[in-house]
Amino acid sequence: SSSNSSFSRELRDDLVHSSSHTASNKAQILTMPQFNLRDNLIKCELLKNEDQYTYLEDFSIFLGTYNVNGQAPKESLSPWLNSTVLPPDMYCIGFQELDLSKEAFFFNDTPKEMEWTNAVGRALHPDAKYALVKLVRLVGIMLIFYVKKEHAEFISVVEAETVGTGIMGRMGNKGAVAIRFLFHNSSICVVNSHLAAHIEEYERRNQDYKDICSRLQFRQLDPTQPPVTIMKHDAVLWIGDLNYRITDLDVSSVKELIDKKDFETLHRIPLLFLQFHFKDVKFMQHQAEAFTITNDGQVPCQFEFITKPNEPTYCKPWLTANPPKGFIAQGASVDVELEVFVNRSTAPKLNSGAEEIEDILVLHLERGKDYFIPVTGNYLSSCYGTSILSLCNLKEPVQEMPQETLRKLVSAEMSLGENAVSTEKPLDIPKELWMMVDHLFRNAIKQEDIFQQPGLRSEFAEIRDCLDTGIPDSLPGSNHSVAEALLLFLDALPEPVVPYSFYPQCLENCSSASQCEKIISMLPRCHENVFNYLAAFLRELLKNSASNRLDSKILATIFASLLLKSQKKQDLGEKRKTQEFFHHFLVQGPS
Amino acid sequence: MEAIVRDVTEKNGNTAALASNVMAKQYDVLFRLLLLGDSGVGKTCLLCRFTDNEFHPSHISTIGVDFKMKTLVIDGIKVRTQIWDTAGQERYQTITKQYYRRAQGIFLVYDITSERSFQHIMKWASDVDEYAPEKVQKILVGNKSDEVDKRQVATEQGVKLAKAYGMDFFETSAFTNHNITESFTRLAEQVLAANRKDLDLLRMSVNDELDLSALEEEEGLCDRMRDDQQKGCWC
Repeated sequence: SSSNSSFSRELRDDLVHSSSHTASNKAQILTMPQFNLRDNLIKCELLKNEDQYTYLEDFSIFLGTYNVNGQAPKESLSPWLNSTVLPPDMYCIGFQELDLSKEAFFFNDTPKEMEWTNAVGRALHPDAKYALVKLVRLVGIMLIFYVKKEHAEFISVVEAETVGTGIMGRMGNKGAVAIRFLFHNSSICVVNSHLAAHIEEYERRNQDYKDICSRLQFRQLDPTQPPVTIMKHDAVLWIGDLNYRITDLDVSSVKELIDKKDFETLHRIPLLFLQFHFKDVKFMQHQAEAFTITNDGQVPCQFEFITKPNEPTYCKPWLTANPPKGFIAQGASVDVELEVFVNRSTAPKLNSGAEEIEDILVLHLERGKDYFIPVTGNYLSSCYGTSILSLCNLKEPVQEMPQETLRKLVSAEMSLGENAVSTEKPLDIPKELWMMVDHLFRNAIKQEDIFQQPGLRSEFAEIRDCLDTGIPDSLPGSNHSVAEALLLFLDALPEPVVPYSFYPQCLENCSSASQCEKIISMLPRCHENVFNYLAAFLRELLKNSASNRLDSKILATIFASLLLKSQKKQDLGEKRKTQEFFHHFLVQGPS
Repeated sequence: MEAIVRDVTEKNGNTAALASNVMAKQYDVLFRLLLLGDSGVGKTCLLCRFTDNEFHPSHISTIGVDFKMKTLVIDGIKVRTQIWDTAGQERYQTITKQYYRRAQGIFLVYDITSERSFQHIMKWASDVDEYAPEKVQKILVGNKSDEVDKRQVATEQGVKLAKAYGMDFFETSAFTNHNITESFTRLAEQVLAANRKDLDLLRMSVNDELDLSALEEEEGLCDRMRDDQQKGCWC
């Protein structure tokens, strides 16, 4: 994996002068932060005469994918990898389920990586020499990229990224790994993904695919440049165990249909009247609108969303514009997508009404006008991202309350702490939490792989709406979806169940069960209740481990990361201490 | 699959020469002027009339900031004016204020058929005091002077206000092209006069053309370096 560093600088210097090829790329080739008119003109001339200094050349890439189901390599891979007459110019080999052990799952560490890499290395085409350029692995999903020795000097900007789509959208038993690189002047991205299994789970597979496309981002060398997503490459090569099955059609008719496919063209909007309203924005529910910037002028143009004064970024954290800057040749267009996504860090202030879905983007055209693009929307408050204390003081569903009530609760809580708020006795624990745990207790205590399989995004949306608008007898969705909704609820709390201020002493005392119990008894009352309630529920689950296949280690891993959070990044040692802390409460009840 | 292979060494020389030709300046000095005032008072129409001698009767709100250029000859000096048109709507004002600090001259525009727009001039003027450079030149403009039947603001009121602020005053009509060139030229003259000393000093050292706003640009860059949070530019 050492072959790319020496020549990448030369190549990059070349690229600064070069122009680009596809329309999508024209928006990205601005590798220099500040461009002047002269550069623009040069770029424009270069684009016009691209044919004079550009030529196309064919190369062959061997793509292979193999779900090895946790097995070690037993026989030579040569019949597979050495099946072409001529040696391929590159090899991209993907594996799935490399290692099914718990160690691989939780600590992302496996001896199988070496075993299979060696097996591949031994079986490449014997008529050429290959260099291993990059290897990337996420739990059992691995991608190896080899290039023929004589091409190595034309490979540059090699980057690898991974994204997990397992439970809570993070665990790496499902997801994708990807490698991007430049080969001469073409940008190429290779993706190896393992999508959700089972024939009826196509919805989850679609969700996984969308998640991979949006969440897998390569950082650029220039930190002012936005990260590059998979689809922003000249060529995308996607391999993997996709688990899709087409049962009613034969291969040839499927291929024919693919050829005929007409891609939806984006609707053009005159820039002058741009404004966007996002209706009923909800927690973790992605919404997007697109518009087209067309350069109908005589010179190439650079655009950028610029930062307003006293604000850290060009837009609010719940909003993104993609791409946020770019270059448009005369007559060309760029599609810009505005996305709204409220996550755990932006939800608290929106819930309480301290902030609203309201922003004005300033789209700056280099040496030209600035467009103001107002973005508005209405946010539907949620129990997701609302504090335990506030929820204990809300007897009604969050959306039944006037927002003013919630806002007052939050501000009283900020100034006075636990002792504040109403004269009425608060609930022991948030009713939303009770509804989810009670649902699981009644329906999922023996559910196989509970808390280990992800739920469906669409079902999460139903569960969230249900919790926020009513007090139903039972929740919609599968057990796995309810379980994930519970984990997301804990993850979204503005103050974790074990408040940040208690975190250091939890680490210090993690080895002593009695000390740990003592710390918990000192938590604010409603936090203590939630902690004990959850621990008691999990102990019930463990009594049924024969059916649900849980053990205390798995539960400690999952729940410690949600209940004991640090405001800084935790290292592995710290994580293990939080697991040790919580583990005491899983093996014995409070004394 | 195909890969793109490029050789870019040859063409660069020619295009650079072309670029520098285009860049050659055909003026002596460049000023930035800014149009301010409530939404609908006719800022965009004034600008279109002045630079292109056109009038578009339908009102399309400016949502953003745009500029047009026109060269005037004052005392034998070729003055290139870069005139910035701003969105008048209130919701955009926190953003448009950021453009004030780079202006050398400002038009405060109201609509003689709108008492409200006239009253708001006070607000606009105090924003200018707060955000524009100290040396900025101002001029008061009462637009739509052709709409005599709908007049709500008497000429005397305009004169009085202008006097209070120490500004020159014009009633204009973008529709009939009344007082347009006069008002733009007057502001340009004032800016020229205000910067005369600096210009003469500079002229002695560089007998070449000079660009006030280019000098400012360097200043602006420094500003930006001091202020890490601000990315991009507000020119």
